[in-house]
Amino acid sequence: MISQRIFSILQRYERLTLPRLKFHSRLNDRQLRHALAAMIQHHLIYHFTSLEDGNTYYEANPQAAYYLVRSGKILQLVESRLGEYASRLMEAILYLGHASVSELEVRPELRSRNPVAANRIKHEEEDPQANGLDVEEEPATTNGDHAVDDKPAPFHATLKALASHGYILRVRDAHFQSPSDNLLEAQRAVAARSDIKALKGKKQEEAIKERAQELVQERTSGDLTQGLMYNGLPRGIKRKFGNGSVDRQPQNHHNGVNGDHAEDEEQQKEEEENEWSEDEDGFDNIPMESGMAVRVNYEKLDVALRNARFVDLAQQDAPAVTAELYACLLRRVEYVTPRCRDAEEIPREKEEGEQFSTPISVQTLLEDIDPSMDLTGALGPADPSQAMNRRGKRPLENGVNGDYDDADDADEASSGAMRAYLVNQHLGLLSQPPFDLASSVTLSVGPSKWRVGFRGLARKLRHLELERMIESRFGDVALRVVRVLQAKGKLDEKRLQEISLLPFKDLRQTLASMQRGGFVDLQEVPKDAQRQPSKTIFLWYYDADRVCSSILEDTYKAMSRTLQRIKHERTLEKDFLEKTERSDVKGHEEEYLTEGELERLQRWRNKEALFLAAIARLDDMVAVFRDY
Amino acid sequence: MSRFGKGKRGPGAEFTWDADPGGEPDTAPTPLYPAYVVPYARKITSKEQAEVDKSRRLRELFHEGPYYSVVDASASSAKKGSAARANFDPFTGMPSYSGRYQKKHRTIPRISGIGRDYETRFFPRELWQIIQPNFRPDASLDGYQAQSNAVSNKRGFEDEEDEEEAAAKRRATGGNEDDGDDDQNEGELLDGDEDAIESIADDDFQDDEDDMGGDYDAEKYFDDGGDDYGDDDGGGGDEEAY
Repeated sequence: MISQRIFSILQRYERLTLPRLKFHSRLNDRQLRHALAAMIQHHLIYHFTSLEDGNTYYEANPQAAYYLVRSGKILQLVESRLGEYASRLMEAILYLGHASVSELEVRPELRSRNPVAANRIKHEEEDPQANGLDVEEEPATTNGDHAVDDKPAPFHATLKALASHGYILRVRDAHFQSPSDNLLEAQRAVAARSDIKALKGKKQEEAIKERAQELVQERTSGDLTQGLMYNGLPRGIKRKFGNGSVDRQPQNHHNGVNGDHAEDEEQQKEEEENEWSEDEDGFDNIPMESGMAVRVNYEKLDVALRNARFVDLAQQDAPAVTAELYACLLRRVEYVTPRCRDAEEIPREKEEGEQFSTPISVQTLLEDIDPSMDLTGALGPADPSQAMNRRGKRPLENGVNGDYDDADDADEASSGAMRAYLVNQHLGLLSQPPFDLASSVTLSVGPSKWRVGFRGLARKLRHLELERMIESRFGDVALRVVRVLQAKGKLDEKRLQEISLLPFKDLRQTLASMQRGGFVDLQEVPKDAQRQPSKTIFLWYYDADRVCSSILEDTYKAMSRTLQRIKHERTLEKDFLEKTERSDVKGHEEEYLTEGELERLQRWRNKEALFLAAIARLDDMVAVFRDY
Repeated sequence: MSRFGKGKRGPGAEFTWDADPGGEPDTAPTPLYPAYVVPYARKITSKEQAEVDKSRRLRELFHEGPYYSVVDASASSAKKGSAARANFDPFTGMPSYSGRYQKKHRTIPRISGIGRDYETRFFPRELWQIIQPNFRPDASLDGYQAQSNAVSNKRGFEDEEDEEEAAAKRRATGGNEDDGDDDQNEGELLDGDEDAIESIADDDFQDDEDDMGGDYDAEKYFDDGGDDYGDDDGGGGDEEAY
């Protein structure tokens, strides 16, 4: 709460030195300094020590603060990708702000891979609540599965897996300065170089700009994926399809492995390593540089979350197998995509060029997907007419197609080709409108590759979100009008009515209410200098950018109100909740609370979960409008 | 041509409410309770529930952690006349024995002594003393003026009273602020159980004696001759001087 005050003051007054901050915040020196140190540890504020006057300036870091909202999603994502232990490791990193590898290694909750044990340790020390939550809400998965084994945690392997996925990065000095400070400093450094000084005028400016960009890149990049990739695959990914099962639940997978080797401690350890590094000879267990400080790489996690969103989109109208294939494609793409977009801001509508991901060949995808996955089930029979339809897209596949027809009787040699053909079919399904989730690149030689046009898709997501909102607020008539306006640009009422085929009355009502809501607007084009209304053309238009930004603001506001509401609801239940948080009650809720109180606690938790889930949904929207 | 246009409608006919028996006329008052579709949120999916649980767990961790601290709003040690002082509730705000299990909040983030070592280079120089208690700014002066010295430079528009009070306190206790003995430290969360009890026992009432001024003080009323239980509180001993 001290931090809250400091943060809001820094938000209001922008950057401040310590004495000024002290003056505004009315905190004493000790509080202020300690809080500042804690916030810097958590990257919540930037600091910058000027070389000219020697003052240190503090500045709020709203991005980092915002990402706290997303932490639940991040942890869930990591868990679904890399398993429960990785998620706990990530949680520890989030909790510590940034931490050195050696520090993480000795954290008690990360020592064992058994979450219950970890909780028990924590319970003694600091955090009984988490245990209580776990026991109540996921008794079947975590606790049940891991109740038996207690062996050393695959700490280094997991950390490497996180690093090679790019989910964590090395902390650099420049991360503690605001981006603009970094840029200015880099510009100063570049301008002082002799080869730049030799240049003149505009050329010099350009050179400074360019070099400064490079310098900032170099100083802020904490990429850890280099050298940890194995054949273009990050570490730790093997386990997903290692068993050749379609098991998508890492916990279950865990469980299976654990169950297999439950007897011998020594053998267990070996198997453990094998699970993580099948052909790298235990390379994964070589610790990473122990002095290195790591932090969470939110940019990369945004990429992963965006991909999850695309998969959801694919699931809407494509068969499950197709969506799974698409997830494979996206994961491959994710490994080589460091951030969602290069530009700082989302470019304006229609000024945005398409930016394609690296093409991924079908062969790579075939290696990735589970060999036992049933590719044929969801597709119709490959009758010639269908093949003809698709031929326009991929003329190279004629031969493959022929193969397929012959190979119906399961010829071993051609089964690979057949699968490749099927993969192409699945992805072809995705490349269809309306979403154009994937597109193929046909090279002059070799099989076709698939890539994803991220900018277009991100735009699509934004439009879908807006359309969803417009439909729920103003009805389907409004949706039609908006779509017409978007396709045709600015239109006067008459033309709009002709195109949208709506009665005037409906149209006018909808347009008026939408204008009131700020979704569409009216432009006047006078025919003469007097600007008489009778001689003026009124054009309706729909500016998606403007609507996006205003919706984004509204969403922030909604989030903050929901948070306020949680606070308020908390004060309503204050006395009761304080009782449950007593140090003797916490963690022993069943023992100390009556049945009615337990029920009440559960009700409160459910209610809070509703609010938090609402915030998470709003965060999804923010991500669409701001981050993707 | 009749007087009323087509002869169908009388004067003021356009204002009657029953011109259009089916629909609502334009001039009718808006209905008090219009039909309203209440939007319902979708049910929480299991994935969302898992996300919520995770973020809740993390939040819990933060709150239990050493950095989470509150502005001590309801303490009787708050400054005279401040809003915090006014908000003190003498009925429930008084410490009681059953309060020993109550969740305690620290009023100052705990940086050092929690088993973490910090990367000094990530922090600005003026905070080095905080993250490394044995760091002495004057020890490593290489022509560089340490920032912490500049802090005491008054700039004229600071809160005069505040400064004076702090200075007076510093003089009185005879120690510097970082000794950890000043009254801010008392609100800080203490680890051991005995310490916790002690911190309740040596409550901040006696600080009031510093700046008496009001005519009537509810807490003070019961506090006259408080010396007889003054023996109990070992920690607050230095306050008894006044």
